[in-house]
Amino acid sequence: MKFKLTIGFFIGFTSIIVLIFLSAVVAVIDYRVTTKLDGVLWTVPAKLYSRPMELAEGLKLNQDNLIRELEMLSYESVSKPDSPGQFYLSKNDLKIYLRGYQDQRSGIFDVEFEQSQIKKISNQLGISEDLIKLEPIVIGGMYPAHMEDRVLLNWPEVPQILIDTILAVEDQNFFNHYGVSLKSISRAFLKNIQAGEVEQGGSTITQQLAKSLFFSSEQTIRRKVMEAIASLLIEFHYSKEEILLAYINDVFLAQSGKRAIHGFGMGAQHFFGTSIKNLSTDQVAMLVGMLKGPSLYNPRRNPVNATERRNLVLKVLNRSNKIDDSNFENLKNKQLGLSAPNYRTETKYPAFHDLVRLELQKNFDEEELRTKGLAIETNIDPVLQESLENSIRETKKQLIKKYGTKLNDLEGSAIAVDITNGEIKSVVGSTSPSSFGFNRSINAIRPIGSLVKPLIYLTALDKYNEYNLTTILDDSELSLMSGGKLWEPDNFDKKFHGEIPLHVALWQSYNIASARLGLDIGYESVESMFMNLGIQKSVPNYPSLFIGSFELSPYEAIQAYQTIAADGFYTPLRSIRQIKDTKGDLEFSYPYSIEQRVRPEPVALLKFGMQQTFIRGTARGYPLDKIESWNAGGKTGTSDDQRDSWFVGFAGELLVLVWLGFDDNRPTPLTGRTGAFQVWKNFINSINPVESDKNVLPRIEYVWTDMKDGLLSGKKCKNSLLVPFIKGTEPKIIPNVRRSCATKFDRSDSGVLDKLREVFEGGQG
Amino acid sequence: MKLLRLSIVIFVFLNILSCASNQSPRDISNYSVPVDNFSKTVELLVANEAFLEDEILKINAQNPSVQRILISADDLLTQEKFLQANSELERAYRITKQDGALYLRLAHLRYKQGLFQESESFASKGLLLSNISSWERLLLNVYLKN
Repeated sequence: MKFKLTIGFFIGFTSIIVLIFLSAVVAVIDYRVTTKLDGVLWTVPAKLYSRPMELAEGLKLNQDNLIRELEMLSYESVSKPDSPGQFYLSKNDLKIYLRGYQDQRSGIFDVEFEQSQIKKISNQLGISEDLIKLEPIVIGGMYPAHMEDRVLLNWPEVPQILIDTILAVEDQNFFNHYGVSLKSISRAFLKNIQAGEVEQGGSTITQQLAKSLFFSSEQTIRRKVMEAIASLLIEFHYSKEEILLAYINDVFLAQSGKRAIHGFGMGAQHFFGTSIKNLSTDQVAMLVGMLKGPSLYNPRRNPVNATERRNLVLKVLNRSNKIDDSNFENLKNKQLGLSAPNYRTETKYPAFHDLVRLELQKNFDEEELRTKGLAIETNIDPVLQESLENSIRETKKQLIKKYGTKLNDLEGSAIAVDITNGEIKSVVGSTSPSSFGFNRSINAIRPIGSLVKPLIYLTALDKYNEYNLTTILDDSELSLMSGGKLWEPDNFDKKFHGEIPLHVALWQSYNIASARLGLDIGYESVESMFMNLGIQKSVPNYPSLFIGSFELSPYEAIQAYQTIAADGFYTPLRSIRQIKDTKGDLEFSYPYSIEQRVRPEPVALLKFGMQQTFIRGTARGYPLDKIESWNAGGKTGTSDDQRDSWFVGFAGELLVLVWLGFDDNRPTPLTGRTGAFQVWKNFINSINPVESDKNVLPRIEYVWTDMKDGLLSGKKCKNSLLVPFIKGTEPKIIPNVRRSCATKFDRSDSGVLDKLREVFEGGQG
Repeated sequence: MKLLRLSIVIFVFLNILSCASNQSPRDISNYSVPVDNFSKTVELLVANEAFLEDEILKINAQNPSVQRILISADDLLTQEKFLQANSELERAYRITKQDGALYLRLAHLRYKQGLFQESESFASKGLLLSNISSWERLLLNVYLKN
């Protein structure tokens, strides 16, 4: 009795222990299943997109840049576009078969150009269309630690052909089993024997999904049992549609660098550069075929294997009557039709990504960015970005060729922004732009050299009762005590130039005239102007400030110049446009903000001075008509011992700033002109900006003046220059020596007409 | 009427002749002509925001593509979906920066958002355009006063 009790007790006790253990195992698996499917599966990294290009009638656009963008989007140049992703260019006429994006439907459109402007857009029927939109380029994402990347599809977005193909190849009995199917295993076995090759797998789709929950590929009985339990639990918790959708979104398709491509939505983008809805049957067949061996059937690495596998899948579709014989014959002979590989998708443009990340950190936490599937529409223009990267890279090569290997470590940064609305179009933070690391666009704080001078001159010109462009400045020897030491600034050419008009001192970049001007107007006025221009640093009270010892990062410097280029309207620079959630609803936006900080008239005078830099100063070399059509202006900067080479310049709608130098601050052989300006020039030449719009300020009038004494002159007089003035501030005196060559009609603007305009229009006055 | 025009021209001539020899710097600290100097209609506009909005939305863009976007922006504006309206206006702004209709709407939108300084700045920027009509100029001036 005692013995029986002991055995019974032992069996009972063991059963309870086993039951508890099994329950615990099932509970653990259940937790993993539900956590994964409810949580991890639906975590989608935030994606960064370039700005989607919108083409509109009347839009000014360089045709070559549009073609470059189409090529970047993997559009194929063909003689007759007949499927999405193709285009044909004939002189001024572009035929493009759009893939479709958001509310933009796919279809053929005709874009007619006339001198860098879109004249007309029409659809296939010849009916005029106002606007069409190209899809943006994915430029990166905010990936979780496991680097899984996916585009989450909802059930209505899944094409029927994808469902049919998956079920035909992977699990024909899917809708009739409970997760595990002995029938499926035996049928797959028989089919494969008959076919002499592996057409079908034995695991059900639910089992395959369960398999992906356990991050090991070991083939043990223990794991198989756990998978079977997980499959049953998945079937218990979720509907068949939910399971199939989870499979479609979760299945591993490829590895791209560190990034793991999961799901058919992402697969379509990765291999074909488009969304799943645009894929043809053969393309769907190729993706489904990859399930058997993502690496073995990777179409980029093993195109022959991938084609054979695709054709096998097409054969299965044909046999199950999903495609007819002629279609099958046609499809199996098609090329794979892959888009160009994009090896830099994780973080395509590191410096830009950095700016976006800093901006996002103000409004989102890391978790949200890595899981909520936010779509971040940035302002980056991919064509400008690629051009800027090439320019800095190629210019460095040219400089090494010219100055030798001592420039091997030369570093640099460049930023291009839209002058008016402050959109950051492109950024590089290194002369090796694709490499990660120190982002000099925001982190290299360097003396700005002569880039400070326009800011000093603007401070003076804003005091328009005291200074104008022909105010005579003194560029004679200067010696004063600063910080207990004698300070004696030099000009770059080591000469003194005596008395010169203000605009000449600016475009000739004379140090001593600038220092005297700064001392005259005072630190307080300069600091106030710096703040108005958007510089948030305090200004040190030492005179070397006025010739460029002041330190800024390229980002801070271009912000100040944005206010100048935009006629005194400060706009905070923006790398992001807006953020949308997975439903496409606006989650957050970064609107165009504007504040008038400086009067437009003094800024117009300064911009005239900066234009002289292009016409006769350190940025000379461009033809006059180009300078005028771009309304170009700029300034070179070189710091002490040529440790920093700067150039900032506006052309068309773009403001571009470049800095070159060594990270360890050692001297370079470069000036602003021989270094940074070369990057600027290569960039601007490669993108050829469209001409800029011109505003006319009614309070500005142009007067012929002498370039030496700044007094009145005439069109026919030697050394004369047509200079803008705020009305009433122009010089009044004409020396006797020039009375014969100057006439009273030399003024470009008629005061009479002006007065009449004021009276009849009642304008700004 | 002709007599009035002629007398204005003579007055202007005399005025110019008297100033031409000794011009002093024009005060540019104030960009706008005070709204009061226009007419009583302006006063009415300033006083009645609904009327003003109505007038703003009547201003068409010169470019048909921009006009199409403005229809959508106006719709969002009247529904008080300000962020979305702004997105649309920025889309239009990327097509052209030379249309008074855009600056008017941006100034008005910022005004409705309570961003008065920005509203004023957009109006000031719009006033720099050389191709705007006198009516657009007048309406932009309203936001300088507001």
